[in-house]
Amino acid sequence: MGITAGVLFAAALGWLLADQVSARHQFERTRSTLGVTQHRTHSVNAHLAELSRDVSVLKTQVGSDTTALNQDSAQLLGAQTSLSAAQAHVTRQASLITSLQTCLTGVERALNELSVGDQPGAITALNAVSASCSAAEAASG
Amino acid sequence: MVAIAVCGAGALAAAIWTDVDARTRSRDEHAALVAADRHLAHLRHQVAVTQLAKVATTAKRDALQTSIDSTMTQLASTDGTLTNTNVHAYYQGVGITTLQICLGGVKNAYGQITANNTTQAAKDISAVSGACTQLAGGTSSGLVYPFDFPDPSVILVGRTYYAYATNSVAGNIQIIDSSDLTHWTAVGTALPSLPAWASANYTWAPGVAFLGGKFLLYYAVDVAGTGKECISVATARQPQGPFIDKSTAPLECQQSLGGSIDPAPFLDTNGTPYLVWKSGGPGSSKIWSQQLAPSGTSFVAGTNPLGLLTPGQSWEGGTVEAPNLVTTGGHYFLFYSGNDWNGGHYAVGVATCTGPLGPCTAAPANPILSSGPGVAGPGGESVFADTAGNFWIAFHAWVPGSVGFPNSRGLYLRRLSFSGPTPTVARSG
Repeated sequence: MGITAGVLFAAALGWLLADQVSARHQFERTRSTLGVTQHRTHSVNAHLAELSRDVSVLKTQVGSDTTALNQDSAQLLGAQTSLSAAQAHVTRQASLITSLQTCLTGVERALNELSVGDQPGAITALNAVSASCSAAEAASG
Repeated sequence: MVAIAVCGAGALAAAIWTDVDARTRSRDEHAALVAADRHLAHLRHQVAVTQLAKVATTAKRDALQTSIDSTMTQLASTDGTLTNTNVHAYYQGVGITTLQICLGGVKNAYGQITANNTTQAAKDISAVSGACTQLAGGTSSGLVYPFDFPDPSVILVGRTYYAYATNSVAGNIQIIDSSDLTHWTAVGTALPSLPAWASANYTWAPGVAFLGGKFLLYYAVDVAGTGKECISVATARQPQGPFIDKSTAPLECQQSLGGSIDPAPFLDTNGTPYLVWKSGGPGSSKIWSQQLAPSGTSFVAGTNPLGLLTPGQSWEGGTVEAPNLVTTGGHYFLFYSGNDWNGGHYAVGVATCTGPLGPCTAAPANPILSSGPGVAGPGGESVFADTAGNFWIAFHAWVPGSVGFPNSRGLYLRRLSFSGPTPTVARSG
């Protein structure tokens, strides 16, 4: 009886000690893994913070770039409108210059025809530029 | 025995308690590890999301900057084009104003001519001479008077230059004057009336000289009713006229040679006067010289015209005319025009002569003046010296692109040099 109890006791105590050692080993492994995980978490956190700062900076840049682009686009549109108006003005002036030059040439030719007494020639020269002279007159206001 | 049992029970209980404690701590640590793993996984997901956001935002920023760069490039280009266009428009505006001023003056002159008020017409033309000169290409080519002023003859009286030219609306022979050779003012007509034998509207190519206390104007003129081209002479007490032609017949005609035109007086260094001129038309032209009487209104009795030059160089196109004889440094130079007066091949050549009556030899370097920038068909030349003794050549020319009558031949002036074996004309005014 006593021996049986002693054996059982020893067996129980041995199992308990073995289990305890196993539990402690498991604890130590888990703690070690947790330490690694916490270290990684710290690194990832730092990386995330850096990324978040980058994204924040980028968003600020995007905001200012969007504003700048809007302003530049408006300026470009204004310049293009001014250019179109200036080009139209140049075209009108070129037409006026052509009319004036044609008219001047005709009047000068008429004068030269008159210098040799050729009145019909003078009239012909004037008639040839009459439309241009009228156009120049109208365009000159 | 009991004590051993109690001790054993105690030891067993302690073993059980420590085992349970170890198990509990292990579970707790495991739970903490699971939570930490989940947190780490969450963080990693956030990192992945944030990285994607960074990539997307970077792409957006880059696209925006590309757009900004493109917009700025377009803006710079547009601004540049706008500036150029505005500058162009400005110069157009200046050109328009110049054209309007010139046209206004020419129109006013035309109106005055039709009202027979040539004096006012001359004033109207003079008033816009500067504007019209700009339109004809400016003064860089030597253009000083942009209106029709063919066959010019320039003399210096005191400190005033007088230029005479073929008939125009301003009168039978035009006169303009200048004190600086740059600004010329229309004076009017030198020859208000013609002799009865002469035909109106056909008086051209004048040459003027001061001789025997009076000014003599030699000019070409058609004989009324015949169409014959002859030379006559008129006199005046002052260079601006009026020149009076009291002749009853031409001074020279050479009818058998096709007529005589383009007279130019020449005073030799000893004061002896001569007249050079041209006879005939294309293919039969010839330049002549003959000594004038001291009065200048007739030739020396017993003398005959002597031929100085006939066409012999290809550029002349069979025609030599508009002679102008000059002496300097003991040498005689005969300037003349060649080719068709009404085209762009008209040009000026020179011949060296042994004396006022020749013989003359055309220079191999001819022509010495021909069409070029701002000048087409130059000719009808006249050589004169300015107040400082510098030689100039006056000539008429068309504006390139407007060649042939009834376009105008303006008055041009360029410096003339006798420093080499052949006189050279400056390339610009």
